[in-house]
Amino acid sequence: MENLYIPATNETPEIDFRFKDHQLHMSGESYPENAMAFFAPIRASLNDYLSSAQPAAAVEAHFALKYFNSSSTKLIRSLIALMHDSAQAGKRIVTHWYHDPEDDMMLEFGQDLKDEFRMLDIRVVAMETA
Amino acid sequence: MNHASVASNDGDAAAAPIRSALIHQTAGLAIPCDAVTPAATNKDVFAIFEAQPQTVGLPVVEDGCPIGLINRNIFMQSMARPFHREVFLGKSCIAFMDKAPLIVDKTTSIQDLSFQVLASGQKAMNDGFIVSDGGRYLGIGTAQDMLRAVSNLQAEKNRLVMESIDYASVIQQSLARPSREAMRKTLADHFMIWEPRDVVSGDFYYFDADADGFLLVLFDCTGHGVPGAFMTLIMSAFLRSALNSVGRDDPGGLIQAVNRQVKTAMGNIDHRHAATQDEGEGADDGMDAAFIRVDSRRRTLSYAGAHLPILLLRPDGEQVEVIDGDRHGVGYAATPMDQAWTNHQVELPEGSSVYCFTDGFVDQLGGDKRIAFGKRRTREGILRHRRQPMPEQRTALLAALQAYQGAEQRKDDVSAIGFRL
Repeated sequence: MENLYIPATNETPEIDFRFKDHQLHMSGESYPENAMAFFAPIRASLNDYLSSAQPAAAVEAHFALKYFNSSSTKLIRSLIALMHDSAQAGKRIVTHWYHDPEDDMMLEFGQDLKDEFRMLDIRVVAMETA
Repeated sequence: MNHASVASNDGDAAAAPIRSALIHQTAGLAIPCDAVTPAATNKDVFAIFEAQPQTVGLPVVEDGCPIGLINRNIFMQSMARPFHREVFLGKSCIAFMDKAPLIVDKTTSIQDLSFQVLASGQKAMNDGFIVSDGGRYLGIGTAQDMLRAVSNLQAEKNRLVMESIDYASVIQQSLARPSREAMRKTLADHFMIWEPRDVVSGDFYYFDADADGFLLVLFDCTGHGVPGAFMTLIMSAFLRSALNSVGRDDPGGLIQAVNRQVKTAMGNIDHRHAATQDEGEGADDGMDAAFIRVDSRRRTLSYAGAHLPILLLRPDGEQVEVIDGDRHGVGYAATPMDQAWTNHQVELPEGSSVYCFTDGFVDQLGGDKRIAFGKRRTREGILRHRRQPMPEQRTALLAALQAYQGAEQRKDDVSAIGFRL
């Protein structure tokens, strides 16, 4: 499956889904006016990947986000939900949720994800931002 | 033959007429300046350029149709070369003309014209462009006039949009007025922050007092600006309807009733597992909300929240207590139709303060690291100013947010409520 790379813009994060290496990265800020338009194709690729990837491959996902608006929140959550369903079906997925040590909002969001998606291995990681 | 004279070229900047009327088509930019024909010599052209220092581009027309444009600088430089004057002065003026100038029909819209000028690179920016009428020469246009026309159109469009949004804001504020007035009458010490990011807001509130106490609702709809404001009107209508059926004493029940109505009216159903191509179509709009019922005589507060916590500071409390609501938002596709929200009861000893901030406040980026303002800073701000009257706390909290935000743009609507009982 082809990798998916979308460069960051002012309103949208960088998407670097290296499906061939099973490495999924999302970083930056997300506040497009129409979040659905941005995330729908990303979600579709992720879905294709998760349902087609060979079961043995372990997937690593990395989320390093600084800001997202409420409509993006729903869609980021829905990406995590996809991985959660896949993990529940037996796929090995490790998700890293990065936050600045001082950023209590991002920390809390990561912890909420852990609470909500219990079958997915979510690691909330404090990481100093450059 | 000397029709090579240029008639009334009023194209120079100082004498340019102030066009108060908006120009929508290229025709409005055409300056009917005289053109030369291929029969004109370079000597004629030289004479024109000398006599008309403001003329930058001189059109060349054959049988009424434009065939080229002579740029002053290129022409003068060519003529200044050794022997060029002697060789070319008597020759046809087509020797130094640009044979492919930008020619634009008079019916072309200003927007299309501006894209064509930009696509031509420096050429049309410097020399201008020829305006034609069904292929026949009409006049010449300058990039400066075009820019002015584009700016005027832009300003006019902007004015119309802003007028519309400004009036939408009048409507939105009218809807808030009864709540705002009831709040002033009922709450002796309180503050309200309602700062739309873009004139109208996706944040809104409702306040209503009765003999027992009051009901206060702060809600944050998806989006901001006009779509967010649309949502606040919808939610306000559903809230009123829910109040009729549920009453004021059951905040959780009110959220439940609003959730059901939004989902039914807007068709926000769960399409998480639907075919992916349909996902772009589905609306998934809703709100975060805090519903607060206070019984003033019993000094109790009953709160139900949808992803919007409240903060409580008791008179002897050392810390700000956070009371989290439920995780489910109101009306969203992922929220079940029959979702219930928990009512939390707390005592309010005299002098207790209650606060609620929408996420625009706590999520605002800023600081050296460009991270969110956050809940910790918000709580610290409250503690620091706890002894002050609520309006002064408001000023201090907003100043702290503003200072933290610095040069960063406001990312979302910002709202907050605080009251002391």
